[in-house]
Amino acid sequence: MTGMTTWTAPEVDRTFEPYVGDERELLLVFLDFHRQTLLWKCSGLTAEQLKTATVEPSTLTLLGLVRHMTEVERGWFRRRVAGQDIGRIYDSEENPDGDFNALADADAEADYAAYLAECQRSREVLATVPLDHTFVHPRHQKEMSVRWVCLHMIEEYARHNGHADLIRERIDGATGE
Amino acid sequence: MMPGMTWTAPQIDRTSAPTVGDERTILEGYLDYHRQTLLTKCAGLTEEQLKTAAAPPSNLTLLGLVRHMADVERWWFRRFPGEDVPARYSSETNEDGDFDDVADADPAADFAAYEEECQAARRAAAKLSLEQTFPRRRPPPGEISVRWIYVHMIEEYARHNGHADLLRERIDGSTGQ
Repeated sequence: MTGMTTWTAPEVDRTFEPYVGDERELLLVFLDFHRQTLLWKCSGLTAEQLKTATVEPSTLTLLGLVRHMTEVERGWFRRRVAGQDIGRIYDSEENPDGDFNALADADAEADYAAYLAECQRSREVLATVPLDHTFVHPRHQKEMSVRWVCLHMIEEYARHNGHADLIRERIDGATGE
Repeated sequence: MMPGMTWTAPQIDRTSAPTVGDERTILEGYLDYHRQTLLTKCAGLTEEQLKTAAAPPSNLTLLGLVRHMADVERWWFRRFPGEDVPARYSSETNEDGDFDDVADADPAADFAAYEEECQAARRAAAKLSLEQTFPRRRPPPGEISVRWIYVHMIEEYARHNGHADLLRERIDGSTGQ
């Protein structure tokens, strides 16, 4: 049979600019940079490589991180900021860390597409709310602002990209910020 | 210190960033949270543990990260805005001295230096407004704003704290944000 190729995570272009701008503009630059960086850390790898935990005893994998950030985007922007009544995709009561650990039968290509779609929905929510808009987090019983959500997303992405740096380096030696 | 006691990295308290507030309040809050997180990732470890490159082939060590962030604080809040002070650990002929020269480093001195650098950075940053810009030192030409510096410091810390998460887990199994 001709044309059968193994799916690998696509190559990614990243944007580092601008270095000046107003608050919203810069938050968006950094947020998108980190979304791109997570995918950049996956690029060129097969599903099997993406499912491999290489910094044991940590169970983190690159696919687990992509699935986790899909839930995180969805949770913060759609469920909390926009108040949408939507459930989780990968996590459940029986398996609250399904994003990270229910990988055996995961379809990496589909999960990758789901991640991109969720990021786009996050962008749409963020475009409609001021940074000073606040909501009360039901579990933490705390008032939170969209400004805080944006910074939290940046720092959570950055921290997971730090995990991704080491996971990737131990898969095939590839490094880079 | 009493004779016979081994130095270990100090325990420190951590304060979460506020979830509401103006731009500068949340930026300052997250920056301090991540400064504290780096120290938390080191707390209780010995010199030998802090000097261990625990996730080869990466040469990253926890002591290297503390040394690196001392110079990063000095660069972005003092040298880049024009203060004439040299880097502590690196030079033109030894660009990665912060990371590379840990074998003979004195961890107690480096931890004290890091705290000093954070205090000096806070004092310098307090004189700057978020809108202020300074010219880039390398291509592409252009300006970088203090706002950008703050968000960049947070994301650089967060990314290195991600490295620290995995290094620490491999050193003694301890995890946690």
